[in-house]
Amino acid sequence: MKKHKIEVMIPREDIKRKVRELGELIEKDIKDSDNEVICVGLLKGSAIFMADLVQRIDHPVKMDFMSVSSYGSSMETSGVVKIIKDVDEDVEGKDIVIIEDIIDSGLTLNYVKKFLLSKGAASVKICTLLDKPYRRKAEVFVDYVGFEIPNEFVVGYGIDYAEFYRNLPYIGKVTLLD
Amino acid sequence: MSKKPWDKGISRKMYTEEQIAQRVKELGAQITEDFKDKEEDLIIVCLLKGSIMFMADICREIKLPIKMDFMSVSSYGDDFESSREVKIVKDLDEKIMGKHVIVVEDIIDSGLTLKKVLKLLGSRSPASVSLCTLLNKEVRREADVEVQYIGFDIEDEFVLGYGLDYKQEYRNIPYVAVMGSLD
Repeated sequence: MKKHKIEVMIPREDIKRKVRELGELIEKDIKDSDNEVICVGLLKGSAIFMADLVQRIDHPVKMDFMSVSSYGSSMETSGVVKIIKDVDEDVEGKDIVIIEDIIDSGLTLNYVKKFLLSKGAASVKICTLLDKPYRRKAEVFVDYVGFEIPNEFVVGYGIDYAEFYRNLPYIGKVTLLD
Repeated sequence: MSKKPWDKGISRKMYTEEQIAQRVKELGAQITEDFKDKEEDLIIVCLLKGSIMFMADICREIKLPIKMDFMSVSSYGDDFESSREVKIVKDLDEKIMGKHVIVVEDIIDSGLTLKKVLKLLGSRSPASVSLCTLLNKEVRREADVEVQYIGFDIEDEFVLGYGLDYKQEYRNIPYVAVMGSLD
């Protein structure tokens, strides 16, 4: 890790309020569907958001996790990702909500969404806490967005810097120092 | 599949959101105290999927630089639980050699699967391995496991919520409840 400082960008209380709003929105959208709903979290970054969000959905949902990684630098162009851990549940005929911590290029999500649809999911929606829309390289529709953020280096609430800081209870902005 | 309102599967609340939050805070403070002077990295390991809520909450109450990692295991083999094998569905991403590891669990009952996971982690030469569970059902214990951090000791009741499921449902209720009759 380079020398750096961290300042609070989105405080814990603001995240909590936003998570509550997103939970209510999702609940409203799924409660009249006859399909089973599975929230799929992408490890590791979305673990905290996933845990908080599903508890604010007052409706039966199942939880599942995927772990994916890019094939080195080639992913930037190909958009192909390697699935380290697939979902445990059978997704056929189910409504899926992918839970993500942050979306920038959208390449990974685009791939995961297509992958779940190819396994027969009835629908696949995407929910992200943070969005950097101007970084997009793949066309991917994001159904639920928590905060749109500027192009800053962020950590906390699941997001890491060299695997650390995931446990910060807020979103912090990292500034590298000389 | 069921569209049961929550109350149909739940007989009573056991621990409220506030009670859980308070206890998690205390455990987090205890872990912070115990590890604040250690030089080696501290890795918190979550066993999917039940421990996810507890993991998310306790990590935020540990006021130290930590890494988070996730493991998914399943047991298979014959019907005698004690002789069942543990299969790793997803292994840790991190190397734990020389590091302190805390395994976070939602509930420990027989401890049989956990014992095997601990043995496996122990074989990778970590500096230490500790166990932290939200709920402890001592009365059901069959394997000898030492639990350093316990949220609540509970009786032999079937519990749901805060990550704990019945057939993959009820994980997302924000409190711990005792299961009711589903008939």
